[in-house]
Amino acid sequence: MEGVIYKTLSSAEAKELNIQTQGPKESEAFVSAFLKRCLPGLREEVIQERLNRKAVILEHSVKQKKKQKRKRRKGLSAKEKRQLRLFEIKAEQQRYNLFLPLHNLWKQYIRDLCNGLRADTQPQMIQTKLLKADLHGSLVTVKKSKCPSYVGLSGIIVQETKHIFKIITKDDKLKAVPKCNTVFSVEVDDFISYIYGSRFQLRSSERSAKKFKMKGSIDL
Amino acid sequence: MTGHVKDKEAFQRLSFLYQAAHCVLAQNPENVELARFYCHTQKTISKRLVLRQDPSVKRTICKRCYSLLLPGITATVRQRRHYGQRRTVVRCLSCGLTKRFLNNPNYKLWSEQPEALLENQPKPEQNTIVQQNQQKEKKKAKPDTK
Ligand SMILES: [Zn+2]
Repeated sequence: MEGVIYKTLSSAEAKELNIQTQGPKESEAFVSAFLKRCLPGLREEVIQERLNRKAVILEHSVKQKKKQKRKRRKGLSAKEKRQLRLFEIKAEQQRYNLFLPLHNLWKQYIRDLCNGLRADTQPQMIQTKLLKADLHGSLVTVKKSKCPSYVGLSGIIVQETKHIFKIITKDDKLKAVPKCNTVFSVEVDDFISYIYGSRFQLRSSERSAKKFKMKGSIDL
Repeated sequence: MTGHVKDKEAFQRLSFLYQAAHCVLAQNPENVELARFYCHTQKTISKRLVLRQDPSVKRTICKRCYSLLLPGITATVRQRRHYGQRRTVVRCLSCGLTKRFLNNPNYKLWSEQPEALLENQPKPEQNTIVQQNQQKEKKKAKPDTK
């Protein structure tokens, strides 16, 4: 069968079909010219290489994906943030005196928030304002705690995290006080409000958006 | 005075945090972490409550590490020429991120343009109400024709 297909046409048959037979050289020239026309952009050597029969492996090959270029990001991932220790303050560098201006700034801020503190302002109003106010820089005292060694500690809040107040005391010591099971008192111009730490276990940025429930039992 | 501003307390808090960061850095320039913490808190609050910050504030906070960019303390400010344009390049000293600002005296921020003011903005509410009424009338008119 194959022999019949690939056999060159005999001159008699060619005459019958009105076809000119081609010699091997002519056909080769024709093929190369044809390929050149059909595959523009490829060099001659490449075309010749393609013409050489190569074994084709019939196998499923997984295309290797090119490694995608990492997107240029400006921000840091949470892991990188942790590794860089962006927010960890060095305890040795902190001194109480350095935070007095911050405390004064905070007092101004609270006065501004409550439209000026006067003796006749309602403590209720101050409390609701304080709930959403920022506590960095406020002077607090630990009033009650499950752990007795915290009681009586007073200082300026330097950092507020989800579960901890970092407080700098007058003798230049940075204390981390857990909010859980602790009652703090905040003093603003003779007004004293109490903060129940167990209810305050939020990041300070989350507090401004949260709605607090008025009722609910508080136990230490 | 300006009228009632929504989220006034939150704005006051943002302003306090920004000032606190400045205050802390002014007292102890080594205390970058704490200033960064305040700026980060400020940014998360403004994100949470969708409060826009003024460009002057945004331009002084690093986008990557949130530190407060003060020229000479936590950032370097240089004038560079790039393709014939002069630009101000602010580089954060703790993470190395740069901000580039073209020196274009004619450039105006949105907040500096007169249209940005609330009084100058067209009031679209009245038009929409009129349109709604028209649609209602059309709907009423349709059953009559049937
Ligand atoms: Zn940075």
